Amino acid sequence: MQTLLTINNLCKSYRRSSGLFSSNLQSAYQDINFSLEKGKTLSIIGESGSGKSTLVQTIAGLRTQTSGEIYLKGKALSSLSLQERCKSIRMIFHAPSSSLNPKATIGRILTAPLQLNSNLTAIERDKQIKETLSLVGLLPDYLAFYPNMLSNVQQHQVALARAMILEPDIIIADEILAGLDISLRFKLINLLLNIQDKKEVSYIIVAHNMNLVRHISDHLIVMHEGKIVENDLTENVYNAPQSSKTKNLLQSHQPDYRK
Amino acid sequence: MLINNEFNEQKIQSPLRYIWLIFKSKNIAVVAMWAIITLLMVTLFTPYIMPYSPTLQHPDMLLLPPYWAEGANPAHLLGTDDLGRDTLSRLLKGIQLTLAGALSITLVISMLGLLIGATAALTQGVKASIMHHLLDALLTIPTILTALILIVLFGMSYENSLLAISLSLLPQFIRGIYISIENELNKQHIIALRLDGARNLRLLRFGIFPNILEPLVTLLTRIFTMAILEITTLGFLGFGANANEIELGALISKSLELVYLSPYLVLFPGVAIFLIIIVFNVFAEGVRHAIIEGEE
Repeated sequence: MQTLLTINNLCKSYRRSSGLFSSNLQSAYQDINFSLEKGKTLSIIGESGSGKSTLVQTIAGLRTQTSGEIYLKGKALSSLSLQERCKSIRMIFHAPSSSLNPKATIGRILTAPLQLNSNLTAIERDKQIKETLSLVGLLPDYLAFYPNMLSNVQQHQVALARAMILEPDIIIADEILAGLDISLRFKLINLLLNIQDKKEVSYIIVAHNMNLVRHISDHLIVMHEGKIVENDLTENVYNAPQSSKTKNLLQSHQPDYRK
Repeated sequence: MLINNEFNEQKIQSPLRYIWLIFKSKNIAVVAMWAIITLLMVTLFTPYIMPYSPTLQHPDMLLLPPYWAEGANPAHLLGTDDLGRDTLSRLLKGIQLTLAGALSITLVISMLGLLIGATAALTQGVKASIMHHLLDALLTIPTILTALILIVLFGMSYENSLLAISLSLLPQFIRGIYISIENELNKQHIIALRLDGARNLRLLRFGIFPNILEPLVTLLTRIFTMAILEITTLGFLGFGANANEIELGALISKSLELVYLSPYLVLFPGVAIFLIIIVFNVFAEGVRHAIIEGEE
């Protein structure tokens, strides 16, 4: 199995002013170590404020870490150009209605990454866009539409198409399942799993729902207050949770809890 | 191409066309638009539609009232002033100078302001903070005072008054642009476009601009209105246009001593200023509402 992403001792802290002249360092996350293999799914769960969103934003390139390094296929991420980074790591935001430009057609939204990161001609771009659209299950008709004309789940599909269009190695999904109802949630999950089957892409998924996570992920990381408290194969975590935090999270999702 | 051809009339429209459709349904705004087009035509073709030269004196026809009053002469529709110059011609000339001046000020300010405001918003650190904090300090001085100081430095003339007004209104516009771009920059679709690998220019062109049309229209109207008011104020105070250049404000101040003999001479330029401002504001309000409705 080929290791795609390795993260070594990643730390992030920021200064927060606590008085008029004083400020103290607060860490968003610290001592993060994990690795991701090709074609696998890694889920990160944890309470709100445990630093998981900040962590995935750092991996996507939106924020910079204070110390530590992220390695992509053995190369340090900080040594890669923006283009190389775009081509292998793509991110999907949690609300597609705000992450798609309301004044651009779906066609333009999907063309932008190709124009900026590849040397394809217009015809090749067109072909690539149509292929990606059929991959996420949308008709080419939608290319002329504006995002607000689509339903929520279709917007998610467009966001996924935008992420897939450069054929990346890793897709980061930041709580994309939170705003959908249960049937659409499963539709999107099946779509994600289908794409993984076809394209061998790896996912890093930030999620809340423990049962869904169990269904989709191979590897599970539980974070608490900026630290990793549990890092193991999903089945191991579910069968034999090591830390009390994980036990709490699991308990809150037990079916008999609601009886 | 569409799967469902039964609803062919529901074509997909670009946002601009959609805004235009909504705008067309607003009657008052459309009237204002035609009024603006008429004003622009008047400004462009003033030399051809003026009945007389604005400086031509008719010694036998002094202080004539407009055509509806008693003792009027149909040769001078809006009457004459104390030297026998035709009021209509002088009014048209005044509208030309004031309106053209205000429009060119708005144009120059919008281009310079967009350039500086966008640079300030998109760059970070010392350069950005110098750019907008320095200009913030200028905001504390009233614009008309800045314009007066500048015109004393430059020397009095119509062109210099335009320059002074442009410079005095610039900080406001830059501030407004800076704030609206800054607001837009934090939105997620901009962040997503950044992650697509977009550089600043592309970000500005496709991500930010189409989404800040509404604040832009508001800002431009405000700048235009203030430009008209300041041009006429400077003209009225005698700092702007000189004796040969007739400008609405200067026209009022020169006729002020005749206000008891012939009040029309003050009335017409005043009404013209009022109408120009109200017509442009009604038009801009219509555009703004169309944009807001279009976004929903």
